[in-house]
Amino acid sequence: MKKTMRQMQKEQTKERLLETACQLFSKQGILNTRVADVAQAAGVSHGTIFLHFETQERLVTEVVERYCGGMAARLHELTCSCGDVREFLSAHLEGIMEFEPFYTRLVIENRFLPLGARDAWITVQSAISYHFSQMVEREISLVRTDVPLSVLFNTWMGLIHYYLENGDLFAPGESVIHRYKNVLCGNYLKMITTERMKHDAKSI
Amino acid sequence: MMKICIACGMPMSQAADFPDGDESKDYCVYCARPDGMMQSYPEKLEGTVAFLMRTQGFDEKAAREVAVRTLAQLPAWKAVRSE
Ligand SMILES: [Zn+2]
Repeated sequence: MKKTMRQMQKEQTKERLLETACQLFSKQGILNTRVADVAQAAGVSHGTIFLHFETQERLVTEVVERYCGGMAARLHELTCSCGDVREFLSAHLEGIMEFEPFYTRLVIENRFLPLGARDAWITVQSAISYHFSQMVEREISLVRTDVPLSVLFNTWMGLIHYYLENGDLFAPGESVIHRYKNVLCGNYLKMITTERMKHDAKSI
Repeated sequence: MMKICIACGMPMSQAADFPDGDESKDYCVYCARPDGMMQSYPEKLEGTVAFLMRTQGFDEKAAREVAVRTLAQLPAWKAVRSE
């Protein structure tokens, strides 16, 4: 079906509003951003923005769903072809680094967001937990088997998210992931792999 | 444009992601039964709950609630949502 000029303009405006909102969310916080702030930053009137998002809840949900969908797809793309554990962990961090400011906001605020937005965030983590479990199965001879898969995964996520959440203390004014990538990757690897691999890692 | 599984939302980027490598399918290899047909809603729901518990350690009730809500967003289960 051919779209009318009007429809196309409406979609373009919406796209611009989603992008602007995402930038503001990253900079000043998700729940700290009002619909009016987005309208002002995007240079549209109150009336126009309310045509697209009737409430702040709607705006937050749509922005988070949109960008979480993108993050899940990107993380899938980066981690699905990874051979070994180290490659997987560093690809995961590379992916997060691509959208670190918005990702960090989600780490901090996800519990307080509308259910739909929180579900979108959980879906991003599920995409990773899926590839993580595949990787552990492939590397069964190297990864510790006396720790449940979920604890291996949650320890990794907990570590990354703790550093991001407290980025002001770990890497003020710079990318937390960029600065700690090797520290996080290398040390987590030592914790989850068996003696044989540790020995190999030492010699690197 | 990367295809997204209509039944679980997984991005499908390579032939191995599709049932029998058939890239014309709209659902992924994990949403297919051994005969290649798409799983039913109850099968997919139980599978998703088990996945969330196994890989992320969620509480069973919480995992079920997340699974019900997220599956309801997917094209294959829109009808289930309105029931
Ligand atoms: Zn699927």
